[in-house]
Amino acid sequence: MNETAAVAHATHESPGFVRTYLFSTDHKMIAKQFLWLGLIMMLLGGLLALMVRWELAWPETQLPLMNLISEKTWEALNESGSWIARMIPNGFISPESYNSLFTMHATIMVFLVVMPILVGTFGNFLIPLQIGAPDMAFPVLNMLSFWTTALGGLVMLAGFFVPGGHAAGGWTAYAPLSAQAIYTGVNWGQHLWLISLFILGVGSLMGSINYITTVINMRARGMTWFRMPLTIWSLFITAVLLLFALPVLQAAAVLLLFDRTLGTSFYLPAGGGEPLLWQHLFWFFGHPEVYVLILPAMGIVCDILPVFSRKPIFGYKAMAVAMISIAFLGFIVWGHHMFISGMNPSLAVGFSITTILISVPAALITMNWIATLFRASIRFTTPMLFALGVVSMFIIGGLSGIFLGLAPTDIFLHDTYFVVAHFHYIVFGFSILGIFAGIYFWFPKMFGRKLNETLGKIHFLATFITFNLVFFPMHMLGIGGHMRRIYNPLQYPFLEPLQPMNVFITVSAFLLGASQILFMINFFWGLAGKKTWEQNPWEANTLEWTAAPPRPPHGNFLTPPIVHHGPYVYSLPGSTQDWAPQNEELPGKLARAAAG
Amino acid sequence: MLSWLPENIASYGDKIDSLMYLVYYITGTAFVVTELALIIFLILYRRKPGRPAAYITGNRARQALWTLVPLAVILAIDLSLDFKGTPVWNEVKAAIPPSNVLVQVQAKQFNWEVHYPGPDGKLGTADDLVMDNQLHVPVNQVVKVRLKSQDVIHSLFLPNLRFKQDVLPGREIDGWFKATKTGTYPMPCAELCGFGHSGMYGQITVHSAEDYQAWVRQQWPSS
Amino acid sequence: MTSLLKDQPPRAAPAQPLPGAPPPPGRRPGWGDDEGGPRRDDSPMPGMATAQLGMLMFLAAEGMLFAGFIGAFLVFRFGNASWPPPMQPRLPVAVTGVNTAILLLSGYTMIRALRAAARRKPAQLRASIIATALLGILFLAVQGYEWVRLVSFGLTMASGIYGATFYTLIGTHGLHVVGAVTWLLIISLLLARSRFRPARRLPLELCGMYWFFVVGVWPLLYVLVYLH
Ligand code: HEA
Ligand code: HEA
Ligand code: CUA
Ligand SMILES: [Cu+2]
Repeated sequence: MNETAAVAHATHESPGFVRTYLFSTDHKMIAKQFLWLGLIMMLLGGLLALMVRWELAWPETQLPLMNLISEKTWEALNESGSWIARMIPNGFISPESYNSLFTMHATIMVFLVVMPILVGTFGNFLIPLQIGAPDMAFPVLNMLSFWTTALGGLVMLAGFFVPGGHAAGGWTAYAPLSAQAIYTGVNWGQHLWLISLFILGVGSLMGSINYITTVINMRARGMTWFRMPLTIWSLFITAVLLLFALPVLQAAAVLLLFDRTLGTSFYLPAGGGEPLLWQHLFWFFGHPEVYVLILPAMGIVCDILPVFSRKPIFGYKAMAVAMISIAFLGFIVWGHHMFISGMNPSLAVGFSITTILISVPAALITMNWIATLFRASIRFTTPMLFALGVVSMFIIGGLSGIFLGLAPTDIFLHDTYFVVAHFHYIVFGFSILGIFAGIYFWFPKMFGRKLNETLGKIHFLATFITFNLVFFPMHMLGIGGHMRRIYNPLQYPFLEPLQPMNVFITVSAFLLGASQILFMINFFWGLAGKKTWEQNPWEANTLEWTAAPPRPPHGNFLTPPIVHHGPYVYSLPGSTQDWAPQNEELPGKLARAAAG
Repeated sequence: MLSWLPENIASYGDKIDSLMYLVYYITGTAFVVTELALIIFLILYRRKPGRPAAYITGNRARQALWTLVPLAVILAIDLSLDFKGTPVWNEVKAAIPPSNVLVQVQAKQFNWEVHYPGPDGKLGTADDLVMDNQLHVPVNQVVKVRLKSQDVIHSLFLPNLRFKQDVLPGREIDGWFKATKTGTYPMPCAELCGFGHSGMYGQITVHSAEDYQAWVRQQWPSS
Repeated sequence: MTSLLKDQPPRAAPAQPLPGAPPPPGRRPGWGDDEGGPRRDDSPMPGMATAQLGMLMFLAAEGMLFAGFIGAFLVFRFGNASWPPPMQPRLPVAVTGVNTAILLLSGYTMIRALRAAARRKPAQLRASIIATALLGILFLAVQGYEWVRLVSFGLTMASGIYGATFYTLIGTHGLHVVGAVTWLLIISLLLARSRFRPARRLPLELCGMYWFFVVGVWPLLYVLVYLH
């Protein structure tokens, strides 16, 4: 008791720079640390994607601007064996480096962009604020979670600089390709990739344990399970998914590392190993993981749509149930990545059925979103636009999943650009657009200033249009038989007619990248602006907007909030204002209406 | 969109393609309906002064019907897709019909080594013939392919034959196809298998019955 | 682990009761309060302290880690026609059986320790904790001895899939026992220094949960790995 009181006091008296910004245990600061990590990594992951795109459009040509470096310099770089010369010898992408480019593009985007921002930032920021808790259940564990993730990130980045270059086995690292250095020529890069994944897993698990415990035990008075905002539901489910999926990946990674370093042969057939074991373990993690990449964004959209429709979310409980069923089904469909992997073909039938069944809860969510807009009063703010973008892009990305989920059609589509199109529609069109929606929405709460709305809308339009121009044509490439992970499409005569499409995609990708400059400007401009700490700029109901002033002496709220009704009471008939904050008690009659 | 599909020359290709079309029409309809509803709602219910939003929670049974009925339809569609897909899958991947033509495709970084059994019809005998990246098969005959790998996982992809099968080291995997049209078609590798994955590429030549006999005589002149 | 618990969120709220919100008796941090509110019947695990809940989640993750390794093991165990593969040393079934009993016994002493703590009997508590730690160390010693012998018979990580799965699975468990014993030793040190205080019970309870996990996994591993 005494110790905790002392700690509480220590945070009261303003702590130094290090405790405030680096080793802070305040969940709001940790959320910002995750945000910075994720945004910086997004820049890197995007840069790698653009290099990939360059190679695909104009194979074996020098990268732009590389002609500015003199030949002499290149020679010197080559001789010294510098990492630049290895990655882009003479300014060209080599087949080896191409493989590590897309491997690292994917790894960084998944583990160091989307997970840190969606789970790390929004999880940390919103869970205590939206359930009315003073902080996370284990603040020190929370701080460690960030620093473990950061350490994992550093180890991951270190891989670029080691001899042999970075991991080049794809983000799926199929064994035996990834199990022996001779197969890829990459030794330390793949080691570090595996070690980093393990560390990142530990960091995420720390976060998950915290989230689950906090949501179960620290809800404010009156915050029942079915009064929680759907963001909290989604983050809670995400944490459970991570808790059950990540350790399996870690186990798989340990075994792979043993194969590479200790001479075991878990995945090497020559020594009695089983290559498919890796795939089973990886995808047992991998499919739940893709739902980790969207669920928080799903929750965010569920929270943003009602605010700007001024309407309750349609079918609140059904939404929660649908998210739970998606998460549950997510654990029994992993085999849809392995239809033609050589596993017993009769297993494919079961995996195919469960996979396609996911369209039922997914459709429920989609339809409830659309129904929320029915007879609404829609305000097209920037966060709303991004949220609507998510809704429309999820439909495309989800529907293309059906082509892949049906085993016979996947025979043709597997490992083609159709798959690449499918998942980018979701990981960009859902996760990244969802991230943008969340940032524009909660920026005022996070930083005390609003982002520029006009610039935000332009950013949305530019992103939305160019994104579709990049990824929609990939469906056609895939149907045309264009394989993924190939370095030079022109090596294949039958792909030659498709090449103009590749050029078109690449040009669009550069425009997509350029559109993000608008966001950067807006973001930094917003940060530099004057703080207004406008308390509830969107007139929303959830508790975080009622927590005032922005920085109470300690904890989040001046007085412990008491929750009286659900988060989606907008435009309640008979009420004078069209929103009803969760901590404000409605007069008896209205309260009964809001509860019903 | 599906017109981008490469020409189909497989006996079972039609079944796969028509499934593809079926999914295409179903998802196309779902796409149009949902996106259209979205756009219409966005236009109709944009904010207008003096018109408050309705208070619809969707929790009442009557309201929930609006989603439950379409859900039931989707469930029915899902099940019928599975119902239609399973026999096709079983035909293509599960059971291999009796066949007179056997070839072994042995993958290695970064070539398809095609082993022909020769006149004795047995692999691993002296009259075997090995060709790099050239697969010769007769038209209108069931061809059984035995897939092996020497090193890592590869994937034999025959776009025109709607054939794709991963090739695993330490295992023999059998596949089959029946080509219905003569000609030369691409035979790339579809699974990342190292820096030479891009460009791991061969050709399948489908011969007419006479051509195939001639080719066989040319390869094994003694018999 | 223990240090993490120190920084639990300010329990200040219960300390300064707010009007209309009398604090619960100290088990729940934060300002959750069950009186009158709908939370009492709604909470899935009423009364489960936050630290214990966190521990439970940690153990769930640990369980999945073992599930991953066990899954891999089963693939090889049932994927191979003969197991153990021919020409491989046999595992010491009997000795390990005794060792299993030792570990199970340590589970019992742990229960006694927790009971002693609940009844505030410092002497019994200290004795049980030390007994538990010693049994754990004994278990590790026997395991270590076995490993040395097995290695000398040629069973190593690199000697084939049999050795690799054995050392990975049993080694992972062994590492967990090492961690648990260390934790126990720290607790007994703390107990020796300061007299037993109720405030010390939480770390003890957590350690107990961890210990039960480590003990509970073992029989499963014994049956799977040693008996065939
Ligand atoms: C965040 C990410 C995310 C999400 C949410 C999904 C969602 C889905 N995915 Fe996707 N997927 C990936 C990310 C994701 N996927 C990635 C990264 C890969 C590639 C990995 C790699 O190999 O590198 C992949 C690969 C992949 C494959 C393997 C392809 C292959 O390699 O051959 C399959 C196959 O079944 C598949 C299916 C599905 C399905 C059925 C869904 C479903 O959840 C979709 C459900 C949604 C809907 C169906 C839309 C909404 C519903 C309606 C509008 C109602 C109408 C519907 C009907 C009438 C059916 N995905
Ligand atoms: C979350 C996941 C994610 C995201 C967001 C993306 C985004 C993009 N991806 Fe990615 N991609 C994957 C996950 C992702 N990808 C995966 C899993 C694979 C499979 C890999 C494998 O096969 O192993 C893959 C593979 C892949 C390929 C196939 C390579 C191949 O098979 O050979 C291609 C090719 O076009 C591609 C392109 C792109 C492009 C153009 C983007 C663009 O959308 C990127 C645009 C973004 C930017 C240009 C950055 C902008 C910068 C900011 C917003 C920063 C703001 C900063 C501050 C304010 C400080 N990707
Ligand atoms: Cu062989 Cu790719
Ligand atoms: Cu999947």
